[in-house]
This record gives sequence, C-alpha cells and structure tokens, in this order.
Amino acid sequence: MKKRQWTGMWITLLAIVMVLSACGGKTTSTNDGSATEGTGSGSASTTLTVAAATDIESFDPHNNNNTSSEAVLVNVFDYLIKNDSEQKKVAGLATSWDQVDDTTWRFKLREGVTFHNGDPFTSADVKYTLERVAKDETLKQYSYFKNIVEVKVVDDYTVDIITDGPDPLLLNRLSKMGAGILPAKYIADNGFDAFLKQPVGTGPYKFSKWTKDDRVELVKNESYFDGEPKWNEVVFRVIPEASTRVSELLAGGVDVASSIPSTDIARIEGEADKKIVKAPIQRVLQLIFRQTEGSITADPKVREAIDLAIDKQGIVDSIAGGAGIVTRTSVTPGNFGADPSLYKTSLYDQEKAKQLLQEAGYAEGEAEMTISVSAQYKEQAEVVAAMLEQAGFKINLDVLEASAFSERYSSKSFKEIFMIGIGNSLFDASNNYNRYMLEEAKGESDYNNPEVEKLLQSALVNMDPAAREKEYQQVQQIFSEERPAVYLYQMEGVYGTNAKVNFAPRSDEMFYADEITPVAQ
Amino acid sequence: MGKYVLKSLLQIIPVLFIVSLIVFILVRVTGDPVALMLPETATAEDRAVLTQALGLDQPLYTQYVKFLGSAIQGDFGQSFRYNQPALELVLERLPASFELAVAAMFFAVLMAVPLGVISAVKRNTFTDLIISGISVIGKAMPNFWMGIMLILLFSVMLGVLPVSGRGGLSHLILPAFTLGVGLAAQMTRLIRSSMLEILNQDYIRTARSKGLGRMVVIVKHAFRNGLIPVVTIMSLQFTSLIGGTLITETVFSWPGLGQLLVVAVNTHDMAIVQAAVFVIAVIVVVTNILTDVAYRLLDPRIKYD
Repeated sequence: MKKRQWTGMWITLLAIVMVLSACGGKTTSTNDGSATEGTGSGSASTTLTVAAATDIESFDPHNNNNTSSEAVLVNVFDYLIKNDSEQKKVAGLATSWDQVDDTTWRFKLREGVTFHNGDPFTSADVKYTLERVAKDETLKQYSYFKNIVEVKVVDDYTVDIITDGPDPLLLNRLSKMGAGILPAKYIADNGFDAFLKQPVGTGPYKFSKWTKDDRVELVKNESYFDGEPKWNEVVFRVIPEASTRVSELLAGGVDVASSIPSTDIARIEGEADKKIVKAPIQRVLQLIFRQTEGSITADPKVREAIDLAIDKQGIVDSIAGGAGIVTRTSVTPGNFGADPSLYKTSLYDQEKAKQLLQEAGYAEGEAEMTISVSAQYKEQAEVVAAMLEQAGFKINLDVLEASAFSERYSSKSFKEIFMIGIGNSLFDASNNYNRYMLEEAKGESDYNNPEVEKLLQSALVNMDPAAREKEYQQVQQIFSEERPAVYLYQMEGVYGTNAKVNFAPRSDEMFYADEITPVAQ
Repeated sequence: MGKYVLKSLLQIIPVLFIVSLIVFILVRVTGDPVALMLPETATAEDRAVLTQALGLDQPLYTQYVKFLGSAIQGDFGQSFRYNQPALELVLERLPASFELAVAAMFFAVLMAVPLGVISAVKRNTFTDLIISGISVIGKAMPNFWMGIMLILLFSVMLGVLPVSGRGGLSHLILPAFTLGVGLAAQMTRLIRSSMLEILNQDYIRTARSKGLGRMVVIVKHAFRNGLIPVVTIMSLQFTSLIGGTLITETVFSWPGLGQLLVVAVNTHDMAIVQAAVFVIAVIVVVTNILTDVAYRLLDPRIKYD
C-alpha cells in the first residue's frame, strides 16, 4: 500500500522535472534569438533589423499579393527594370529596352550576373519566369501578367516580350512583384518545393532562414552585380501588435519599425536616439458612390454636398496624426497620368453643403444613406459620418470585418457609399480608373459617361505616353466635377527608426536594405 | 485500464468527424477566400478563373467528401497564403505553442501550489486575505494589458528581457509569466478550497491524533488528495493554452498556433483553419484521456470499467 501512495507523488515530481528540463533544454539549443538584438555600435553595425506588421506569404514572387511580401523579396530577387525611389524606371537585370512594334518589346540583358547558387543568369530564366506567371492562372500575380503571350529567346542575352495587344503598362508590370526573376535551371533540377525551401535569386541578399510569423533572415550576396551590399545580415521581423513594435524600437531590438500608430508618434519623437520618418504611400482613402438610377447618390448635387461637408484636413490631423495629404484626385504624383493641379488641395464648406442638400430637395435628416467600410478605417468613417450628419445627412455606418468587406466588395453589393483605401502597385492611372469603365462599373458604381469611356478605352492601348497622359488628366478634370468618388487623403507611411540608421521611406513601401545606411560613428 | 484507454481512443473518431463537419461548414459560410487573394483591381473574370482553379465552384457536399477523403490521409489541403500543405504548417507551429503552454503551466504551478496550500492552512488570517486579494487581481487583469505592461517595465525601461519573438529562455519568460498568472490565480483558489475541505476530513484528524507532524500530514495526506481538482483544471487549461493563447502570442509575436490561426482567419486561409481546429481537437481529446488516467493513479478508488 505504501508503494501505491507514492505513485502519485512520483508522477507529480516527474511532471515538474519534465517541465523544468523542457525549459532548460531550450536555453542551450536556441539562444541565438538575442543575437539580432540591436545593431551594436561602431564596426558591429552589420545587421539591419526591420519590423513589419505582416509576414511574407512565401518566397514565390509570382504567388504573393501583398506589399509587405514584396518589400522583403526585392532584396532577394531582381526585376528586369527597377523603380528608383522616385518611381523612374532604371536598369535592373535588363540594361536597355526598345519597342519593336505595338506588341513587341526587346530587352538586352545584363551579362555576367549569377544566381545565388552560382548559375549564370540568361534569357532562359526570363522566359521561364515570365511565361510561368503569365500562364498559370492559380498564381496571385497572374492577372497582372496574363497579357504576355510569349517570351522569345533571341540569344543568351536578348529577349523579345510579346503581348496580346498594345500594352502601355508592360514596363510597369516588369518592375513589380511577379516579375522577380527566378532561376530556371535550379527549379528544373530541384523542383519548385525545393526552391521554396531554399530560394535562389540574383539580388543583393541571399536567403538564410525563414521562421514563419517570426522572422526572415537574409545574408549578403558577396558577388552581387551592382557592388558589395552594405549589410552582412538583414533581418525582417514580424510583429503584428503595434505597441510591441514600438516597444521593440524603443528597447533597441529593431532599427526600423513600420506602421507606427499615430498615438505613438510623440512618444518615439521624445526619445533622444529615435526618429519618426514619414513618406506618402500609394494609397488614397476615398468614398465611392453608387450612381444607379434611384440611388440618392446618383444626384450630382448630393455628391457635391458630401464632398463639401467633409473636412479632409481635419481628419488627417485628428485621426491620422498628421500622416496624410489631402487630394482631389487618386492619381497622386509619382503615378503616370497624375494631374498636380488637383493634389494637395481639398474643398470644404459646410454651409454650402447644407444649401446644396436643400436644393437637391432634402430636408434635414431626409437624405439617408449607408456607408460601408472595412474595420481598419472605422475611425475615419465615424468622423466622416459625424461631419455628414452635421450637414443634414442621415448616415448608417456599416463597419465590416476585413474579409466580410472584401467579399461584399467583390460581389459588388454595397449600398450608396463604400469607403476604401485603394493602392496602385502599377504606378499608373489605369489602376485607379478601370473600375469606372462601363463593364467594370456595372453593379458597383454604375458610373456611365461616354466621354470618359472613350478616353479610358483609348488610354488602355495608347502607346504614345504624352497623349496617354493627357487622356488621364482629362479624366481627372471631369471626375473632379462629376465626383464618382470623393477623395479624403493620400495616406502616409509612418516609420520609427533609431538614430544609427539613415532611412528615407519610399512611396512604394519597399525596404531596399541597401537604401538604408548606417550612420557613420 | 487498458480497455478504458482503447475505448476512449475509439471514441475519438466520431468526435473528429463532427468537428470536421462543423469547421468545414463554418469556414465556407463566412467568406470568400478568392476576394482576399486577388488585388483590388482584379476583374470578375479573374475571380471566376481562380474560383474554378481552387475547386470552390463545386457544390458543398462534393467539396466536403473530397475534403474528408484527403483528411483521412492526413491531407488538409494547401494553404492559400503559403501554398504549402496546411497540416505541415500547423505541425510546424506546435512546438512553439507547446513550449509556451508548458512554461506557463510551470509558472502557474510554481506560484499556485505553495500559495494555495498556505492560504488553506492559514485560513482566515491576514496571509490568507493577502493571497486571496492577489489572486483576484491576477484573475481580473487582462492578458494583453499585462503583457504590454511587462514589456514596458522589463524590456523598455529596465532592458533586461527581450520584447518579443521566440528565441532562448529569456524570450520565454514574459509571455509564459503573462499566461501563467491568470491560471495561477484560478489554481490558487481551487487548491485552497480543496485543501480546506480535506483538512476537515476525519482521516486527517486521525493522522494528526496518531501523532504525525503537521507538515507530514499536510504534505503526505492532504496535498495528494487536494491535487485531483488541480489535475482537472491543469488539463482543461493546458488544452486552452495550446489552442487559445491568441492574444498573448500576438502581443509577444510568438510564432505559435494561436498566431497562425489568427492570420488564417483574417486572410480566410480555409485549409489552415480546418487543419488547426482538427489538431486542437485531437489534443483536447487525448489530454482528456490522459487526465482520466492521472485521476486513477492519484486516487485508486476511481474506476472506469
């Protein structure tokens, strides 16, 4: 009996020992985590640590659809053409490019470039890469590349890219995610799964390790064609919780932290060795109207009243912590087709808004409408609703969880208004306006203006950049009168950095590690 | 005993079947993954193409039969986001969650056992009052708030512990403590009341009157019996620690199952949600069986046959 009594005690003891050993074992085996803390000082500044809110999706540049993935991947994979920090096209893996005819572009490739595994980069890699993303419809980047019909290998360092029709956006497509050049031979030899586990590109940094939802570790590519990279190691950490990201920055765990909430700006600026840097990003927050007959927002007077009733600068100052630029167009500078006369300006006149609403035949509280918005812009929507109510509207705010919003968005089932922040990964006005073309607008905004339709259809295939730019500027002027949408502001990316690095954020939100430089000490 | 374990193991099958059906339906009625996968500028045609390619255009029952057929073979489909087998992704995360859960449990036991026993032995004294007070506060404090406060104190101000991420033992301390405190509070209360009840039993009085020392009686006679409810709460809490540490994992960027599940739900990555819920269900069922076994070892009077 005595023996039995002790069994329980032994089990308890054993459990405690197991727990202890489970914890203890970890100490010796994985104590490398703290190695990435801070960049140290002086000559030790060889690791750059960047914190973002979301992880990359994978190392497949063709099957990714978020900016934070591309921000990391640009360090591993090169494009034929690169956007410099002002969104001008500069040579990447291609050294020159010419238009042969309306549907053919010829690219001269850089010679002497090698992939991280030592394979030489040639035309075959371009052919494999672009045809993969142009033909496999399950890839998330497919819709951007599907109009490439063929990539013809002319010789080892020359390719012809052939599109199914005139495509003024080809160069834009080739300088974005989805055009990251993959190693054809390596993938043919090892298979795509092996490539995903040990990705290989031509970029300045080589893959080292990826712990999902924790960190991506990259190391310097000593034989990079564009000179030796600046950092020995670049670590991208995933820290979804904003306050934790800020704490990491303050504690010195990361050098750059993105998406700093407006409420933490003052706190970071208050630290001697920390800085806040901002840059406009390609995203404009806007209200899009339904103009279907019978809809209250089909009346241009109502739309104008809505525009005038909203104090955009007020929203920027109060909700966005100053991180925003008011605009009357969504095609902001840096994008092809921008009309600068409509940028950094906004209309606001509550009295006139009230008057317009009366002229439209609505008494106070009679103009009732629903604004649908994704939860991420809830606060902005609440302020907009309050401002509109002040001007005499009656607003039903419909705040939806992100995936519910996307679903309603793609099924085009919003009511009078939906609020959305629209990005522009192609840096071209067509991205902003295709939704107002007759076919696409059907069921969403039901916008219908034959003149705009003509301009947009023409711009879609116009290979003369000057004429094309005019067409988009004309559309913008019409839109500023007709208001199929009201633009609130262009968002700004807010970053916190420590004083050890120089970092000028880019409008495309990419983190090119070599554009971030250690401050000389 | 062996028969009992075997029987319980067989009962897992219908349970998992029901779990699979519920998850499958819930995941499908709550949203459309295609909408989240494509850029804002995608056309209706792009969406139709992708829907078909993913097999989402087929009737629900066809999708379910297909799903169940492959699930039996351990294939829960590909994650849309990572384009990798979902089960593989879930199993990759288990060690991180397990590590955190075990450490939290360790903290909880370390705090709760002495506090609970002392509190019972010294019932209605000032010490008891203080311990009860602490445990009420510990239970009431929200996890995320405490996590953030601990980060501010130990990482930002004192700079002695890392803020976030998974690494060595130092990375484990703050999240495990955060998770452990609430649990410890609950266990302290439980141990106290269970010990109190036992200390009033006849056999304790008998033991005392035999002339055994106070400590011997408390440790050898009372404590062991007082452990039974603690084992229950530990098993219940352990399963919720594995699957439900979402907030703490997010605050500390701990790459565990909870964080994976949060991201999967947000991005509507159906395969991951299904696989994760499935794995959690298996853990719950197995833990329950182990709990019953532990009861029996602690108290031979409990029989299941």
